[in-house]
Amino acid sequence: MNSQIHNIHQQLMNKDITCTALVQEKLDLLKQNINNTVNALLDTLALDLAAKVDAKIANGETIGLLEGIPFGIKDVYMVQGTYTTASSDLLKNYKSAYTATAIQKLLDAGAIPLVKENCDSFGHGSSSENTIFGAVKNAVNPDLVGGGSSGGSAVNVAKDYTVFSIGGDTGGSVRQPAGYNNVYGLKPTYGRISRFGLMAYASSTDCVGPIAKSIEDIRIVLNVMSGKDVKDQTTYTSTEIDQDAISSSENIKKVGYFKNFIENDAIDAEVKSNFLATIEKIKAKRIEVKALDFFESETLVSTYYTLAMAETASNLSRLDGTNYGNRIEADNLKETYAVTRSENFSEESKRRIVGGNQVLSQGFSDEIYLKGLNLRDQISKNFENDFKDVDIILSPVTPNTPPKIGDSLKDPHAMYLSDAYTVGFSLGQLPTLTVPQGTATGLQITAAKHNDELVLKFANFLKDTI
Amino acid sequence: MSKIMTVDVLSSIKGAQPSKAVNKLFEVIKKANTTNNNAFNNHNNAVSLNNLRDDVVIDSSATEKQIIIENFPKEKNGYLVVSKIIEE
Repeated sequence: MNSQIHNIHQQLMNKDITCTALVQEKLDLLKQNINNTVNALLDTLALDLAAKVDAKIANGETIGLLEGIPFGIKDVYMVQGTYTTASSDLLKNYKSAYTATAIQKLLDAGAIPLVKENCDSFGHGSSSENTIFGAVKNAVNPDLVGGGSSGGSAVNVAKDYTVFSIGGDTGGSVRQPAGYNNVYGLKPTYGRISRFGLMAYASSTDCVGPIAKSIEDIRIVLNVMSGKDVKDQTTYTSTEIDQDAISSSENIKKVGYFKNFIENDAIDAEVKSNFLATIEKIKAKRIEVKALDFFESETLVSTYYTLAMAETASNLSRLDGTNYGNRIEADNLKETYAVTRSENFSEESKRRIVGGNQVLSQGFSDEIYLKGLNLRDQISKNFENDFKDVDIILSPVTPNTPPKIGDSLKDPHAMYLSDAYTVGFSLGQLPTLTVPQGTATGLQITAAKHNDELVLKFANFLKDTI
Repeated sequence: MSKIMTVDVLSSIKGAQPSKAVNKLFEVIKKANTTNNNAFNNHNNAVSLNNLRDDVVIDSSATEKQIIIENFPKEKNGYLVVSKIIEE
């Protein structure tokens, strides 16, 4: 699909549509909340901003490419004055005091925020069912989950309720829902986009990620949000990705895929055969394909969850109802903390906090947490070696198609294992894009650290090849 | 006070118990092979100290301060109310 941002920009400039009518149309659709994607509508703000864009156009002024483009925001980003709930009881009345850097950059470019989007509470989930706003329904089949944790964002893009949405990806939370709803979703290199103002889940893998219907729209939004930010010490300076630079696939000579992702019992037969058919099509274009060895899925998932739980236990320890949040008063300070947290966190969030405190406690940290860190180092080293040999690693996004709403909650361990193909790239902090092609839940394209440009380039190649 | 802290105390979550689903993940880690490198040799997430922001106080905007006060759970006669600190 072609760039919606360019199309809408042209329509606005030609006065074929007004920004107010465009925004109103999308707000009307979102208001119906058919797929449970909406936590809060930002209607007053959006219509205000749209009127300003229309006034500019009426005055004959030129507008920027993102000016007047409506977008959605996962409800874990701070936007000053808006409710930011993380889909949780604890923060259901919490208002952002400031705005996240990534979102501020989009606002500065003139994009119009429409909606705070439903997601798994604090990013804890792979189905967007762990939310106080009702399970997000899949855009293609509403009986199925929307994926998670950025489910509301992916569904809104797929249904054209937003032109693009900003999700957050810690272990696959942008890429997996993008795959489940047949849209593009990018987890950039860790540190390319500032995390300031994104509610922390696991700080060492948290990434801001755009979801859109075209590679070009992903490129535009990525360029605007990227860059060094003094408020996030992990950010780095990156160069803008040029449209022409990603239009041809030259320099991509060798593609790898992980043998054990494909040759195992857990993968759906159709996902497997479609993936292998894609590999054949790539070979037919005279690109060398190499089967690579990698860690077992169970090791990847266990390493990721061990570290993510430890980090989330630490990050969420500040949520005790003292300064903000739904405090429940009890007899004394400690009781107030305990009752507030017990009553307001979901079962899944509690499971992860407890797991994190387990691995960080004396006697367990050497055996589990530090060993997890060691495994992460080995995984990163493995990627480093692989990218000396291949330019791109291609994988399915998920082993299976989306589950029915209700099924994931019954078996948390099975839900953790469903992240098998996404978590490794998070641990490696690598740029990885989901494209809605190749298998029922898409394909992941991964390149070496800081090589986000190559990922988009290969995505353009795949679009024309399969 | 006992030196052993259980996960419900560490997590400030009443009656919290380790879960079977999560323990299955930890069992995999226990059995996994690690390299001989000391596990403390993790350098992946270190950030540079050469490019720190200026160490100056930046005053929040009036709007920011107002929202922070609005978010406070309890107020009485113009004061923000917190729980009494207990001594053990």
